[in-house]
Amino acid sequence: MTIRALIAEDEPILAATLAMTLQGLWPGLEIVGSAPNGVAAVEQGLLLRPDILFLDIRMPGQTGLEAAEELAERWDGPQPFPHIVFVTAFDDYAVQAFEHAAADYVLKPVSAARLGKTVERLRALVEARQQPATLQLADPGALGSLVSQLQALLPAAPVAPMAQRLATIRAAVGNTVRMIPVGDVVFFQAVDKYVNVATPDAEALIRVPLKDLLPQLDPLQFRQVSRSMVVNMACVSSAGRDDFGKVTLTLRGRPDRPKVSPVYAHLFRQM
Amino acid sequence: MSSVLSSFIPAPRSRARRLLADLPLAVAVGALLAVVITVVVGRPEVFFENLIVSVLIGVAAYVLINGGRLLFLDYPDWGPRGWACFLALVFMVAPLAHPLGLHVASLILGFPTPTLDSYFTVRRASMVLFTLIGTGLMTLLVMNREHLRRTREEHAAQRLRAEVVERQALQAQLRLMQAQIEPHMLFNTLANLQGLIAIDPARAGTMLDGLIQYLRATLNASRSENTTLEHEFAAMQAYLGLMGVRMGERLAYRLALPPGLRSARLPSMLLQPLVENAIVHGLEPKIDGGEIVIDAASEQGALVITVCDTGLGLGHTDGQCGGGVGVSTTRERLAALYGAGASLTLTPAQPCGTLARLTLPLDTP
Repeated sequence: MTIRALIAEDEPILAATLAMTLQGLWPGLEIVGSAPNGVAAVEQGLLLRPDILFLDIRMPGQTGLEAAEELAERWDGPQPFPHIVFVTAFDDYAVQAFEHAAADYVLKPVSAARLGKTVERLRALVEARQQPATLQLADPGALGSLVSQLQALLPAAPVAPMAQRLATIRAAVGNTVRMIPVGDVVFFQAVDKYVNVATPDAEALIRVPLKDLLPQLDPLQFRQVSRSMVVNMACVSSAGRDDFGKVTLTLRGRPDRPKVSPVYAHLFRQM
Repeated sequence: MSSVLSSFIPAPRSRARRLLADLPLAVAVGALLAVVITVVVGRPEVFFENLIVSVLIGVAAYVLINGGRLLFLDYPDWGPRGWACFLALVFMVAPLAHPLGLHVASLILGFPTPTLDSYFTVRRASMVLFTLIGTGLMTLLVMNREHLRRTREEHAAQRLRAEVVERQALQAQLRLMQAQIEPHMLFNTLANLQGLIAIDPARAGTMLDGLIQYLRATLNASRSENTTLEHEFAAMQAYLGLMGVRMGERLAYRLALPPGLRSARLPSMLLQPLVENAIVHGLEPKIDGGEIVIDAASEQGALVITVCDTGLGLGHTDGQCGGGVGVSTTRERLAALYGAGASLTLTPAQPCGTLARLTLPLDTP
């Protein structure tokens, strides 16, 4: 069985070089595609379902970290989540962060010796995956290790001091501005450039990006559960887990069933 | 650096000027003592005579004591020996100053001048003692004032020195920043070069040429303050050539330099931060990429350079690279070099992207 790899890299020469070096080191590896930006990386990842994904960090569209997060959120079905190797050019901070998060990464310019070690590790991981008997129950798998890496690597949203927190949401509805007490909000959901503010009996759009809104909310009451959703924890009545480990929330006062990103699933684990 | 410093710090004042500076104080102390004597003696009708005599004695004592001090003891922090000399000076001067002042006063007022043998009376001896105390006090006052003045001057000199050092540090930092090549850019370029060596050696050679040219321009800029527009455009051509290899079809670029402006002089590496901003914040993060156009023109005696891109535009800065640093540094440089005679404006370009417009005095040889 061949092992399939996808390369996400915006600089064409670097993508070609990485593919060539990989094939020299690992003849059994098939490069199934190459994505030129962070958005295409997710789409092609979902389409091609590779075993290994090389993700450049600085890409147009979205960063490699954001692409990994989105892919983890949208990954479904029985196929195991791909092993992710981050690729980054010289960047002191990023390198320290990757080491801290125990993430697999290679530095550009890629040294064949360094890439050889990565290939060895990947081979061991893929072989272990092909022999389910040796797999232990506690093994978090590729998704589990990515989740813990992303929790360390993704920048945490800053928290504004109490005085700068929002007490009411002012949302325009036609010619009037509705004043919504923050405590009444069940969830905020990003929709393109807007945010949908949902209360038990109404919805309203505001023109503030979710990432600007988040720091102005009480970090204990409002939690991010996926890249596009922030929920009021007081309104969550239950969290269900499906066969693939996907967590879905049931809300008080709203029929919506928001999905929880694997990155935030730990918020809904039993005590 | 010491030559620069000395040009900022005023030279010490001459002794004669320092002696004259406190003369009004001597006159004032003399006048005050005349009032005291008149009140003590209780004869207001002789106040005018007392005043003349007292002031002249005061001035004589002042000139003798301070003259001596400035000549022989003009250094700070006297030891015990210095103080002993100073006291001896005061004691010597008092019996000299009193008859001297009295003699001159007598000449002015038309009184008979006292001869040396008729001079010593008990009353006069007590007056000499009075003069001694008065001049001693006056001298201490003068010295105190001088001490204060010296401290003030030292403070001012220190402040000036700090300012000079700060300015030099700033200039050095600016030169360093000009010479700085973003590591991310350099390593990505090297990674491309590494790849091309295996894939397309001829193109690798061309790219290496571009890198050498860009590095030379950047590193030279840290040593020279000025360059010509032709050199600056060549450096940007090399930079965009490197970025063109890296970004492939996503980057198109055009540079237009009118032949008449080739030799126009401008501060070195002035364009670099603007072109780098257009790439790093405008075109590189945009999925489809775009075009960058660099233009130069002369408008009413001013040199106008525009850097126009079709990138993400203003307000899309992700803060990743501290957007705005390049712009604010450029504005600081322009302000330091030309004051209000130069400017940099950023406006949204149509239909998308950013237009950076640099205006500075045209300097053609």
